[in-house]
Amino acid sequence: MQEIDQAETKPFSLDEIKERVATCLGPDRVQKRYNIITDTTDFFRVEYDDVVILGSKPYLIRNNEREGRFGIDEQQKFWVKRARDLSDGSVKIIKLVFHERFQAKVGDIVFDCFRSPKKEARILDLTKGHSRFMQGFSLTDSSNNLIRVIDFVKGKTLADVVMNLGRDHEDYFFNHFPSIFEEYMELVEAIRFLHQKGEKHGDIRRDHIIKEEATGNSRWIDFDFNYLHRENMFGYDLFGLGNILVYLTGRGDVTVQQLRDAGSPVFDQLTSYDTNIIFNNRVVNLKKVYPYIPDALNFILLHFSSEANVFYESTDQLLHDLHAAKEHLKNM
Amino acid sequence: MESKKVQKRNILIAVDESENAARAVSYVRDLLSGLPGFRINLVTIIPEPSEDYFQSESERTEWMKEKKSSARSILEGFRRLLIDAGFKEGDIRVEVAIKTCPSIAECILAEQENLACGAVVIGRRGISKKEEFIFGSTSSKILHTAKDCAVWVIE
Repeated sequence: MQEIDQAETKPFSLDEIKERVATCLGPDRVQKRYNIITDTTDFFRVEYDDVVILGSKPYLIRNNEREGRFGIDEQQKFWVKRARDLSDGSVKIIKLVFHERFQAKVGDIVFDCFRSPKKEARILDLTKGHSRFMQGFSLTDSSNNLIRVIDFVKGKTLADVVMNLGRDHEDYFFNHFPSIFEEYMELVEAIRFLHQKGEKHGDIRRDHIIKEEATGNSRWIDFDFNYLHRENMFGYDLFGLGNILVYLTGRGDVTVQQLRDAGSPVFDQLTSYDTNIIFNNRVVNLKKVYPYIPDALNFILLHFSSEANVFYESTDQLLHDLHAAKEHLKNM
Repeated sequence: MESKKVQKRNILIAVDESENAARAVSYVRDLLSGLPGFRINLVTIIPEPSEDYFQSESERTEWMKEKKSSARSILEGFRRLLIDAGFKEGDIRVEVAIKTCPSIAECILAEQENLACGAVVIGRRGISKKEEFIFGSTSSKILHTAKDCAVWVIE
């Protein structure tokens, strides 16, 4: 049973709020008035410079968070606010309650998805103290909305980080990839931990891994997404893990178009065996492009090929092969 | 726990609202009607979405009521189909179960074991390779994991 903090909302006077804003942001940032909110049901009315009181703490709301999705870049997420915890000045992400159900499309496959505050709250509890997951807690506002207060993970996505590593792919692969690969394995172990507890991440994609600036540690973020699974509960998570591995190995997606535009001789040799089962323009048989990639690693990538006959059904299976590939990477 | 001894002539047909299920029932009717001693279990497993799917308990209750009612209506149609073909009423059992199912195949096989059925019959959905890759295939999983029973996958 999930325990939710239902501490009584503590009232704050305007002077108290002003004093805290002055301490956290500086006296010149103090406003004459503050809209103090305890009920966040209408999240569109929670705006910049409002103060939301949750439990015993006031949070100064800053901007809405943004996220690129389904080819649409930087959509505002009005229910996700960046905020300052006025008790200590720390930056938080406050996720307000937003239920949605919709059909997502991956390639030509349509499936039912939904967003759930309960799921995210449950995973925050489950992963408390785990270094590979974002940290935070949940509590209810004055109208019983389940709010998640999350420590802001400052850093770039792991995907952005790898794009800037190495002079070229070969340099990247031999001098940087082995440590990235080990980090990836730990991220897969973290997802195994979730799966063992009967939870999906639900939205595994490369911009949901942030490499924390302060520690260099990569963490999974955003757990409020879910999908109605069919036979294999974790298949979509595994597909996401595969896509990330292909991306990290290739130092970015290697597409058929890129090879064509670059006049690569590989372009004329490509077959359906070489491309992603869902995203047919992405090359997964990266050894064809970068011959120094060890077979043991390429073998894993080929599980995500259009011609694959064997699919990973669990993180255990994937990790088994990753461990084998790691041995080969050590000997490069 | 010791499993029950399976009865060869005790058959489980796993059905849902799809045409594949109708094909599975029709196949059994055409093959076995008029033959003595067969018992047919028409079973619908409805995987219950996680609690996250619903915004309230009442929504969840309503969802389950609708699903059960729809499944019962479909099962009744299949039951009549078999009776009209000559199966005795007493030899046909219908069951609708809403279950937490990480795997529908495992839930079906648990029912097979529980009912001591000697055969599981299922219609193949004919999903694409891509779909099987991401979501898995119930008929494939049953084929690969069933023990102590025959599996009929009906095209």
